[in-house]
Amino acid sequence: MKKINQYFLVMLLLALSIYSFAQGPIIHIEFKHMVGNKPLILFEETYTNYFNEPFTVNKFKYYISNIILKGQNNTLKLNLEPKLIDEADSSSKQITIPKPNFTIIAIEFTIGVDSSYNVTGIQAGDLDPLKGMYWTWNSGYIFAKLEGQSDSSKAPSHYFSYHIGGYKITDYAVRKIVIPIKQKSLGDTNFINIEADILHWFNAKHAIQITKNSICHQQGQLAMNLADNYSNMFTVIANK
Amino acid sequence: MKISTTIFILILSIFIGTSFIEINSYKPTLLKFKVPKGWPKPVYYFKNNPLTVEGFELGKKIFYDERLSKDSTISCASCHQQFGAFATFDHNLSHGFNNSLTTRNAPALQNLAWQKNFMLDGGINHLDVQPLAPITAENEMAETLENLINKIKKDSAYRAMYKNAFGNELINTQRTMKALSQFMLMLVSSNSKYDRVKRGEDSFNLPQQLGYEMFKQKCASCHTEPFFTDFSFKNNGMPVDKTLNDFGRMKITSQTSDSLKFRVPSLRNVALTYPYGHDGRFFSLGNVFEHYRSKMQPMVNTDSSLKNKMNLSNFQIGQLTAFLYTLTDSVFISNPMFAAPKNYSTTIIHNH
Repeated sequence: MKKINQYFLVMLLLALSIYSFAQGPIIHIEFKHMVGNKPLILFEETYTNYFNEPFTVNKFKYYISNIILKGQNNTLKLNLEPKLIDEADSSSKQITIPKPNFTIIAIEFTIGVDSSYNVTGIQAGDLDPLKGMYWTWNSGYIFAKLEGQSDSSKAPSHYFSYHIGGYKITDYAVRKIVIPIKQKSLGDTNFINIEADILHWFNAKHAIQITKNSICHQQGQLAMNLADNYSNMFTVIANK
Repeated sequence: MKISTTIFILILSIFIGTSFIEINSYKPTLLKFKVPKGWPKPVYYFKNNPLTVEGFELGKKIFYDERLSKDSTISCASCHQQFGAFATFDHNLSHGFNNSLTTRNAPALQNLAWQKNFMLDGGINHLDVQPLAPITAENEMAETLENLINKIKKDSAYRAMYKNAFGNELINTQRTMKALSQFMLMLVSSNSKYDRVKRGEDSFNLPQQLGYEMFKQKCASCHTEPFFTDFSFKNNGMPVDKTLNDFGRMKITSQTSDSLKFRVPSLRNVALTYPYGHDGRFFSLGNVFEHYRSKMQPMVNTDSSLKNKMNLSNFQIGQLTAFLYTLTDSVFISNPMFAAPKNYSTTIIHNH
């Protein structure tokens, strides 16, 4: 009997070690949403953009995909499905990824959903159209949404609403970005904080005033301009 | 050691044995999709959504279920009626949630496996995502996908059907849409008199034969056989209805050259799908012929074949009509396979 017990104990240990080996070391990525130097608080807080336009935020969500970790001489491509980051859902703002065996100096990812997911029919998980990030009448994913209210908006109820998408060449709004890591602490990285500053939506490459453009609900030039702008909104900080 | 080895092998074999049973308890019956003789290969990619009897039956139940709409009064079948070749019979526009009207004439649902994009403006790029539009549109079923999925989840009959169709009780948008596609893909209309004639099983009478010859000369460049549409988008000289302001494909492409372009409709079952035109403005085939020979207003982007309208005599219109009536597929519109499921309540009558 003793021998059998020992045997199973060995088997159990073996299984556990295989399991933990398969898991491997991991890095926690956390998304943090800011408006300038203030943390984003939905509905409550009023912020001001570069054009002195006051605004509140009711909704802020976006897809990221094709994450690539870059070292001095190495890269690690993570084959993750597009991930929906939603300010209203704190669990969506945390992801874990396998830890590479090199020091990360930059992180690359795309904001948006690759065309293959846009043209092959119905998807599931974070890409379920139930998530409210899909245009049903002109097929395609909404890559990013920023909604709120502003006294500068002439739309009903002073709403401003930016829905950005476009997977076709003529109105392509998928943006690939590479962000160097602002290394806070030298050495081993276990946590990566990705900060997104909403103020960049209004003023980065293009000047977009709420009073002139309070609604963007389709693919096209305005969506592409907003995509150019928000592709500048990220900062990456690595922590021990 | 020998005992432990024996036990280990025993446990291992039980494990393997049970997992085998588990895997094989999901045995859907494959449903064969038949391509009618002489037709091209379908464009739908069946490998991502293999047709099964269970998936088809689930799709049919969803198609006929009025609970899909916000106030549980409108199903897909409310506006896509089998006796009208799955268009809305005798309606220019269809009736949506809370006394609303659609802005377009409901198209017949047939031969969808050969269609690359959907809606009269082609805005929807895959059959599997098409139902999302009518389900969520405020002037159609007006329901949210979240509510829809929750309603389905609460129904034990549905849970069993999802399990039979997909292997477990997971109910999500993807499975719901795939099941609907399975039902819609099977809606193949290929048994009209025209088809029988083509197969050598029947013959046209003289007006039908003369009409067919004329059709090939005057109509077939857009209404191409065997689907009686080339699936393209054309401006056919229909001025905009100022109450609808529907400019068709231009809304999708943002190109002014696409102004007032709408999909060339299939003429299969055309005798059943009146009224005609993207907004149902023509109440009879006679109105349509009158449009093409006199009333149409050619525009800069009107199709080149229609720039000078169509030269049609009353005699020719009679023959063309005789031919078009041979496109009615009575087998398709009465096939019990596509009819409402047996447990479906038919007691609700709408005063539409």
